[in-house]
Amino acid sequence: MFGFLHPWLLAGLAAAGVPLLLHLLARRQPPTVPFPAVRYLVDTTQEHRHRLRLQHWLLLVLRTLLIALLVLAAAGPIAPFAGGGHAPASLALVLDNSASSGTMVGGTPRLAALKSAARRVLDHASPDDHLWLITADGVPVRGDAVSLRGVVDSLPVVGQRLDLGAAVTAADQVISESGRPGSIVVLSDLQQSALSAARPRTPVVVARAGAAPPRNHGIAAIGLGLQPWSTDGGRVTVRLTGDSAAAMPVSVASQGSIRREAVPTAGGTAAVAVNGGTPGWHVVTTELEPDEFRLDDRRVAAVRVAPVARAQWDTADRYIAAAAAVLTANGRLARGSDVSLGTLGGGASVVMPPSDPALIGALNRRLAARGVTWRFGDLVERPEVADSGRLVGRVKVQRRLTLEPSTAGSRTGVLATVGGDPWIVRSGNVILIGSRLDPEWTGLPVSAGFVPFLDALLNRTARGDLDLLEGVPGAPVLLPDAVKEIREGDRQWPVEGGAAYRPPELGVYYLLSGADTIGALSVNLDPRESELAPADDDAVRHLWPGSRVVDQDRIAAAAFATTARSDLRGPLLWAALLAAFAEVALASFWRRNR
Amino acid sequence: MNQPDRPTAHPRLDLLDPYEVARLGGLEVLTEDLVEGFLAGLHRSPRQGFSVEFAQHRMYQPGDDLRYVDWKLWGRKDRLYVKQFEEETNLRAMLVCDISRSMAWTGAPGEVLTKLDYVRRLLAALSLILVRQRDATGLLAFDDEVRAVVPPRARRTHWYQLLQVIAALEPGSGTAAEPALRRVVDQLRRRGLVVFVSDLLLDRALTLKALRFLRHRGHQVVVLHVMDPAEVTLAGTTEVRLEDPETRAGVVLRPRDWAAEYQRTVAQVVSDWSLSCNRHGIRYHRVTTDTPFGMVLREVIAPPRAA
Repeated sequence: MFGFLHPWLLAGLAAAGVPLLLHLLARRQPPTVPFPAVRYLVDTTQEHRHRLRLQHWLLLVLRTLLIALLVLAAAGPIAPFAGGGHAPASLALVLDNSASSGTMVGGTPRLAALKSAARRVLDHASPDDHLWLITADGVPVRGDAVSLRGVVDSLPVVGQRLDLGAAVTAADQVISESGRPGSIVVLSDLQQSALSAARPRTPVVVARAGAAPPRNHGIAAIGLGLQPWSTDGGRVTVRLTGDSAAAMPVSVASQGSIRREAVPTAGGTAAVAVNGGTPGWHVVTTELEPDEFRLDDRRVAAVRVAPVARAQWDTADRYIAAAAAVLTANGRLARGSDVSLGTLGGGASVVMPPSDPALIGALNRRLAARGVTWRFGDLVERPEVADSGRLVGRVKVQRRLTLEPSTAGSRTGVLATVGGDPWIVRSGNVILIGSRLDPEWTGLPVSAGFVPFLDALLNRTARGDLDLLEGVPGAPVLLPDAVKEIREGDRQWPVEGGAAYRPPELGVYYLLSGADTIGALSVNLDPRESELAPADDDAVRHLWPGSRVVDQDRIAAAAFATTARSDLRGPLLWAALLAAFAEVALASFWRRNR
Repeated sequence: MNQPDRPTAHPRLDLLDPYEVARLGGLEVLTEDLVEGFLAGLHRSPRQGFSVEFAQHRMYQPGDDLRYVDWKLWGRKDRLYVKQFEEETNLRAMLVCDISRSMAWTGAPGEVLTKLDYVRRLLAALSLILVRQRDATGLLAFDDEVRAVVPPRARRTHWYQLLQVIAALEPGSGTAAEPALRRVVDQLRRRGLVVFVSDLLLDRALTLKALRFLRHRGHQVVVLHVMDPAEVTLAGTTEVRLEDPETRAGVVLRPRDWAAEYQRTVAQVVSDWSLSCNRHGIRYHRVTTDTPFGMVLREVIAPPRAA
């Protein structure tokens, strides 16, 4: 299909009408002179007039052609004729250096072969080509062949996952915006899990994955249960993924202690008990025996170890007393004065509405004196259901006091809602619950989630929530509002709380707010990277209609074959030169021989 | 011996530029002066076709052939007389004049007479010469039809009648020579002289056919092809539309570019007419309107050299 490098210049074709316009404007009726002997001229000039008209039209056509050819040449026409290299084109090279590209095949990482193919493609590029390189970060990088070759040479395997469909779409967009025809070249291990549908308008050439990938085991996820852990420790659940049928031993390490546990094959889960150790933040590391794909053989997570909450509660409240007894028996709660459960104490408190409505006013005044930004409001008596959230599920609420912010417009600290209204809120180390923990107020005390609710409320929420985040390299994670800095190993840098943060690599990142560590971000490989099975040609063509799949050693030729078009500027300029020469020669000749 | 008077005191009008001649005075006076000058320079009579049957004597006129001077009578009366024969007195001539619109054109107004003005004077002179020879002379003027007919008469007063008609000739529209020439037959029942004066911008085939018809009837036919000098040589540098005043047909050209080609065409046309006429015993003369009248009269009056 014909195309133009600068199609907007085609507007200049209007100038091709100038000779015709001048011809029409220059047409004039010469003065009439009587001349009886006209008949002697009529026959003589008739043939000449025909010839002259032909000459005029021929010159007009030549001049129009000359302008049209110059304008067309300026627009940079390219034609689908092979041979003689390729016309200036746009090329987006998608080079997959995601984690799976680090898989060793034949003793070398798969990325090495992909980089070699990429270099061959770049070697075929001409200085006039527009080139982009899209790697696992998904960001198109513009450059010439030399600079992009340097980028390719230094490109490492990264822990990020590359969505090939998104990469192709991004490549299609940059090529479309470039305004010149081109192609997208995909160099990847073509994991099935990395392919997603795309509808590029630009031709796509895909390098076939080549040798079959090795069998692989990987750790898909680890779970640390409720945190913080007590010093007694906790249980780490490890889920495996991969395509190997063999069972693999997995090791779990925390504070230098290693405990191994045999686990089933891919898809199986193992739970490993780990000692809590000293209070503080620790990193739990799980590892498999190394295989050809190393990056998914290790997974880390941050764990917070802290003593259990020491709370005081009203033993007359039988539902709270029963749940506290269970927690105490399981080592999740101890008697003490750290947290007041039910009433407003001097420290951290979980406050319910008083049984006597007459005391609400006094309670609100005490809350205000503590600097609590919420207060109890009016009684609402109607059957409602709590909105499902992190702290509490959907439980019935028959009676509640509205919770109202003492400062208009300030509604921060809402932990649970009923019909959109705040039901459980926190202000500092004080938690207000809109309903008494009594079946006459809410179904929560008689629900199965009551004990875990109290555990979370006393050990986490009342003592300051821990923000335990998980992420993958390069993917955005929304940071809590209070986060001011991030620390990873010995490095520490400021961040904006409440904004998205893209962790650059694998590891544990601690979230800091001043001197306090308020959470952690565990960054691990996307478990889909462990699925090394490549997509077949049909799947590629199905997901990217119109794409070509070629062997990797033919990718360089195929890359520009789709844009292998002849640059017609040269021929057009030659044609324009010929037209100009013909015009001058014919006009001079005819003028001489008139 | 008394020699004929030769008017040599003033310039001979027959040799002056026709336009200058026309400026000197009226048609009648000028024509007589012109003819006088012409006859004075001719040295012999223009008469032709003498028969052997003697008819009468007349006074010698300059230009009369000395062979026909009656020397015996000169011996008796000391005056020169020439003998006239029956055939001469019976010569009938018809002047056929084209007065179409194209004849009213000149390429240089104010410098060159229009073809019609030129022809008026030429015919006036020619008719005077003929009438003086007592040749019955008539006139037929035509454009796309016959506009005026003056039957041939030999009386001297007849010339004034001819002159009146000639002076009143106005340019017409188109040209149709063939019916006009055929009308001549009605006027010339015996063999005579037909002088056909035209710019020949007409249907050549039909005209030639009519001329051949006249020739076939035994008439002596003379064709005077009158052309303006500007019709002989095309000039001009700017592009113009040349338009035929009769047909309104036109061509757009730059005259200078076509001068050579046009000149070749005109030469070819003249050559064609000349050959066609000569082939049928018709005398053909091309006349340009800047040619002095005397030279044209000499061509017309003088017998053909071949004869």
